[in-house]
Amino acid sequence: MRHVFATMGTVASIDIANDDERMLPALERVFDEVDQRFSLYRPRSELRRIADGQLTLTDASDTLRASYARALGWRGLTDGHFSPHRPDGVVDLNGIVKAEAIEQAGRLLTNGGCRGWTINVGGDILVDSAHGSRPIGITDPTDASALLCSVSLGALPTDTRRALATSGSAQRGDHIWLGGELRPAPFVQVTVIADDIVTADVLATAIVAGGTRALDQFTAHWDIDVLAVDRAGDLVATPGFRAGAGVAPSALH
Amino acid sequence: MKTRAVLGSIFASVAVLIVGWQAGDAVIASNTATTSEASGASGTPGTSGSTATTNDSTTGGTTSGSATTTDGTYTGSSVSTRYGNVQVSVTVSGGAITDVTALQLTSAEGRSVQISNQAAPILRSEVIAAQSADVANVSGATFTSDAYLSSVQSALDQAAA
Repeated sequence: MRHVFATMGTVASIDIANDDERMLPALERVFDEVDQRFSLYRPRSELRRIADGQLTLTDASDTLRASYARALGWRGLTDGHFSPHRPDGVVDLNGIVKAEAIEQAGRLLTNGGCRGWTINVGGDILVDSAHGSRPIGITDPTDASALLCSVSLGALPTDTRRALATSGSAQRGDHIWLGGELRPAPFVQVTVIADDIVTADVLATAIVAGGTRALDQFTAHWDIDVLAVDRAGDLVATPGFRAGAGVAPSALH
Repeated sequence: MKTRAVLGSIFASVAVLIVGWQAGDAVIASNTATTSEASGASGTPGTSGSTATTNDSTTGGTTSGSATTTDGTYTGSSVSTRYGNVQVSVTVSGGAITDVTALQLTSAEGRSVQISNQAAPILRSEVIAAQSADVANVSGATFTSDAYLSSVQSALDQAAA
């Protein structure tokens, strides 16, 4: 069965076996708790109170400080292309808490003995198992009603990566710092396949912000596959992504 | 079918490396001036022209190098990469590199034998255009609750409900 509900400013679509319907209230609670704590749009949220100076980070909950620490760790790993701070200095954990909520929800389902599930929140997707999961469509950034391609997780028998996330430049502003000046971001949309949803989401965001250099660095250091769409609508893809997207090997460069 | 083709190309790459590896062994066994533990993967012996340290007492160490490079086989240190441990041996003869051999390239899983995972241009016509009927979920830049209503994902959710 498919369960659809609004959360964190977007929509969650969750596929679970009919027998696992009992898990839905607990599942919704995972997302609701994260939303209540981290939404900057909620006047009473813990993160809003930090932004407003009513609460200091040192007095914040362990949960919030753990997310902040994790985001800071990613800032270091991505040369600052991923950051838990907005340009105005406000702590904004939006870039990581949705993926963390998906991760937590997945753990809840696994611990509850559920199998064959898919969690999709606003286009960030975690599956129970790469093998046997259905193909995922990638939207065409130039035409929201069209799909660019579809990609299968687990296209190779040895590939067990379970997470896929897509980021777009609209979320981060249209310009990035390149060579000391503000220039248009080269990529308008970046999709990353990784072992876990936090890595996929963070690196997709960081490649949008960091451009081609970040893309090349990250594909060399992490076990990820990437499809990126540039400003002109042209595509670049890693060999593994091509394999998953059903591209003939003769088309490999 | 595609999977098999991809695996085939990977096996071909491995075969080349194994052949190279065996050739490397032969070079080391027969070379008269085998040098070990040059620092770094490049194994540059330095420009002093001095005789490089030989690793054993192999006969007649003819390290009569030029002013810039000493003949011999140089082994770089093993470097751990995401593709496994990589160690390279370089043979220099007459001042030029004549052979580069992978001594070590372990791989626990099929994917790890790819040498590079760099993204390269791909034509839109190369990706098989997907129909929404073929997929169960859609990934795109995060849509707002409002934008969701007109999204492909919304159509899929209604179809699955």
